[in-house]
Amino acid sequence: MSIWNYVVTAHKPTNVTHSCVGNFTGPQELNLIIAKCTRIEIHLLTPQGLQPMLDVPVYGRIATLELFRPHGETHDLLFIATERYKFCVLQWDPEAAEVVTRAMGDVSDRIGRPTDNGQIGIIDPDCRLIGLHLYDGLFKVIPFDNKGQLKEAFNIRLEELQVLDIKFLYGCAKPTIVVLYQDNKDARHIKTYEVALKDKDFVEGPWSQNNLDNGADLLIPVPPPLCGVLIIGEETIVYCSATAFKAIPIRPSITRAYGRVDADGSRYLLGDHNGLLHLLVINHEKEKVTGLKIELLGETSIASTISYLDNAFVYIGSSYGDSQLIKLNLQPDPKGSYVEVLERYVNLGPIVDFCVVDLERQGQGQVVTCSGAYKDGSLRIVRNGIGINEQASVELQGIKGMWSLRSATDDPYDTFLVVSFISETRILAMNLEDELEETEIEGFCSEAQTLFCHDAVFNQLVQVTSISVRLVSSTSRELRHEWFAPAGFSVNVATANATQVLLATGGGHLVFLEIGDGVLTEVKHAQLEYDISCLDINPIGENPNHSHIAAVGMWTDISVRIFSLPDLNLITKEHLGGEIIPRSVLLCSFEGVSYLLCALGDGHLLNFVLNMNTGELTDRKKVSLGTQPITLRTFSSKNATHVFAASDRPTVIYSSNKKLLYSNVNLREVSYMCPFNSAAFPDSLAIAREGELTIGTIDDIQKLHIRTIQLGEHARRICHQEQTRTFAICSLKYNQSSTEDAEMHFVRLIDDQTFEFISSYPLDQYEYACSILSCSFSDDSNVYYCVGTAYVMPEENEPTKGRILVFIVEDGKLQLIAEKETKGAVYSLNAFNGKLLAAINQKIQLYKWMLRDDGTHELQSECGHHGHILALYVQTRGDFIVVGDLMKSISLLIYKHEEGAIEERARDYNANWMSAVEILDDDIYLGAENNFNLFTVRKNSEGATDEERGRLEVAGEYHLGEFVNRFRHGSLVMRLPDSDVGQIPTVIFGTVNGVIGVIASLPLEQYTFLEKLQATLRKVIKGVGGLSHEQWRSFCNEKKTVESKNFLDGDLIESFLDLSRNRMEEISKAMTVPVEELMKRVEELTRLH
Amino acid sequence: MGSMLGDWPSFDPMNFSQLRPSDPSSPSRMTPVTYCPTHDRCQPPPNQVIASESRNILLRNMYKRTEDKLRSKRPASEILITDQGLKHPRTSTAESPF
Repeated sequence: MSIWNYVVTAHKPTNVTHSCVGNFTGPQELNLIIAKCTRIEIHLLTPQGLQPMLDVPVYGRIATLELFRPHGETHDLLFIATERYKFCVLQWDPEAAEVVTRAMGDVSDRIGRPTDNGQIGIIDPDCRLIGLHLYDGLFKVIPFDNKGQLKEAFNIRLEELQVLDIKFLYGCAKPTIVVLYQDNKDARHIKTYEVALKDKDFVEGPWSQNNLDNGADLLIPVPPPLCGVLIIGEETIVYCSATAFKAIPIRPSITRAYGRVDADGSRYLLGDHNGLLHLLVINHEKEKVTGLKIELLGETSIASTISYLDNAFVYIGSSYGDSQLIKLNLQPDPKGSYVEVLERYVNLGPIVDFCVVDLERQGQGQVVTCSGAYKDGSLRIVRNGIGINEQASVELQGIKGMWSLRSATDDPYDTFLVVSFISETRILAMNLEDELEETEIEGFCSEAQTLFCHDAVFNQLVQVTSISVRLVSSTSRELRHEWFAPAGFSVNVATANATQVLLATGGGHLVFLEIGDGVLTEVKHAQLEYDISCLDINPIGENPNHSHIAAVGMWTDISVRIFSLPDLNLITKEHLGGEIIPRSVLLCSFEGVSYLLCALGDGHLLNFVLNMNTGELTDRKKVSLGTQPITLRTFSSKNATHVFAASDRPTVIYSSNKKLLYSNVNLREVSYMCPFNSAAFPDSLAIAREGELTIGTIDDIQKLHIRTIQLGEHARRICHQEQTRTFAICSLKYNQSSTEDAEMHFVRLIDDQTFEFISSYPLDQYEYACSILSCSFSDDSNVYYCVGTAYVMPEENEPTKGRILVFIVEDGKLQLIAEKETKGAVYSLNAFNGKLLAAINQKIQLYKWMLRDDGTHELQSECGHHGHILALYVQTRGDFIVVGDLMKSISLLIYKHEEGAIEERARDYNANWMSAVEILDDDIYLGAENNFNLFTVRKNSEGATDEERGRLEVAGEYHLGEFVNRFRHGSLVMRLPDSDVGQIPTVIFGTVNGVIGVIASLPLEQYTFLEKLQATLRKVIKGVGGLSHEQWRSFCNEKKTVESKNFLDGDLIESFLDLSRNRMEEISKAMTVPVEELMKRVEELTRLH
Repeated sequence: MGSMLGDWPSFDPMNFSQLRPSDPSSPSRMTPVTYCPTHDRCQPPPNQVIASESRNILLRNMYKRTEDKLRSKRPASEILITDQGLKHPRTSTAESPF
């Protein structure tokens, strides 16, 4: 049963909705604060650029974000209001580096019609009050007292019902707002009001202005000394104050965002719907405005917010494309643009559609999204894990170990690759043609398995075999010295660095050697009580050539020990517990923190924080990486050290923000890995797997990889066809140069490797593509692309005509094979029992694929089902059809073969406005709706009466806070059937804010456990701004608000791993579950995404 | 144009002075630490939990109107009289014992 669901974010929101600049973290620090719908990011402006400081999750969808400074404060406070009528005032505490809540509250009214044009939140420039416009006809005031404390909020009646914008005016003795509104004849005016705080009422303001530009939509208050307001229209810009009125015409455009440049308000940056950036200048003589001037600066992403940062640098936040950091140059570039884009920040939003494919055919899903809008439309290929880009490979069976060596100590590149087999050692080297060929190092023993190899000081190389340690000159390649294991003993395990060798023989003997110029000196010998299973002396202290501690893993007592070097005194002993012996230990250092990693024979990995001075091991953590023994090796990429854990599930361990992270490597099984940085293959890795030696480079180390294919047009539907290795997309292209009817709709064929357009099919005028499907039909072996369209006529409320187009891919071209006219928009297409199931306006219609006498095919209507408002989303399973309706939630239909009919079996009687549906299993269906909620309904086949059976019962409810456009079955991570998480079915979703999330259906036992953990975490992890997690996740629409049920917030649960040890222990105590167990279970969940 | 574009405001002239722009074709990675507060100051001071006035705006207006009426009746009774006195000088003179 898929009732118990776990919702987690794989890719956080990237749609930038608001931004502001101010001194938030300190009086001398300038910050950029960005809102990404449910998150706030705090950045610091530095000489190096924008430095990210903190990503703050907010338990609400941010409706307004403002920085302000009450009298007497040395730095700014942050005001946030959420769409569910909560607000908070946040302050940064520099000493504790914490966000502190100064005030918070609920400003909802029980009665009131929510505003159509969005919520407005503004702060009086003199900090006398906060003004909110949340409901039509009401203006809410939260007054400040003279100490800057907030007082009880109250409403004032606002006569204007269709408000477009409200701003506070500067330089007024009494707090004064200016209201831009539309009257019932659709004319637009502005009006000013003074807020009489004592009387809780408005007083008619100093001035007003009637009959503005019909497209006037935005007010910009002008600070002193000029004061007044700018009214931004679609064809004019007006400056207006009590004494002045100046207007200039502009090229028709819709201004989406503005940013003030100068403190005196004489220059503004305006961003329009085409992504053009203008500079608006108020010309003035002293305090008298003499005119306006506007200049085109250049093109950016379509801005939703603009913040002038410092020294001509500007942040462009975007909802429709990537956000950008730009610089305004004094001189235009050759194209006449003054804008230079210096950085861009990925934004996947809005994800309108996506598909899950396995392009590299290695058993792992990749998500390809239709992202962005208008000219910033793109496809994004999102992949979890780290890829290896293969450069060369040779067939080599039975590799038992690999090491790279340099031909001189100061050589920047590796020359040799030592490959060890069960009874021999072979040396590969780069020849002059940059090819890998077999060579010899005369001083090495090639008739035995090499246990360890390393570069050593004085241009030497060290080789350890079971009988001896050989020191060889790297220049002459001749043996310089050899240390032999005592008679009767053989070396089992060994390790070395540039100046030291540590080895263990049977019987628990530990021997420590030092490397000199041509000489190996046995410095110390220790006898341990058990045999030694693994060793490491990787130098992580100050000296890169030499370590003062050694890590040793033991058989029998299953422990890991830290010894001092050179005297081999035991410093620390840590029992690992269990019966699985450690197979690989590694000392390593990430971001200045030293760790001991210890890999077990069953694919588990333990890590400890290592105190380099005392040798103490703390913060023990255990994670499961795979099921086979792991070998650990460090490597460098882009100047950072990472660890490669080779096993049946190869993993890269790295550190980000002082937290260890694990990222899958997209290879099936790796037995050994060693870095191989040769001149021909710089920064590469040598990887031994499945009878093959591969040399390849590694992707950037991060969890999700996103590749962007800019389209320059808006892709709205996508699907993949395995057989032809193509994608087909439905897209629309806006022609910016002409004004009317400039939209062109296309079906485009894209190569799934190169992502190039290989064929296009233009649709008719007014014809929109609504759905796309790759399918085949009964009695026909071909695969087709089917496209459903609608003719969207300006005079019609709903389309009354559409088409189903059937294409075949031939010679890389889209060939139209069949075409069927429909009586409405084809909102959805599904392959169904070898036929085609279409959702057309109110109807579900089934088409057969019929062979005509002339050998061609046609779609022939078989049966249908009426009874929807608009059947927008359809999913099928066997003979069952699940329909998501525009406003009538989910219904379940069944196709009856014998009767050739589709009948309704059950429906959910709630009035949910659907945005996506998916079938989780035979009985449970998942829906997403208009108010950012998720819910599941259950088919009640065991109901006693027809009435009961005809009702889909609500099983789960949850507020996601995201608008889901699509669900798809699949997984972003490679699913191994033998792992626990491999058994958990998952659905991926994509949202308007660019979130990619995962819904995992858990077994009841795990759900119950995590539910308890979530409840405990709610008490420990506090909501920023005092906002409640429980309220945030409660299902909420116009009709009801109910507690979430049968859904868990994976983001909260996984933040357990970010807690300090003390907090973890607090939770462990409350749960009566050991910390390590909790950590392991949560770590496993992070592997779902 | 030059004059419009020059003289950009500067808070700290050093800001962005050492910016090394990344390749614009490969997006920048900005991954700040995710904030996970466990301290008690996420809750505001008790007197700073703001609620809306419980009285509905309509009721408030009605109460205010009646209050205004009452206020204008009692202390302003003199004004009323003088008012009437001004408006109806004749009747007042008529009623006058003089």
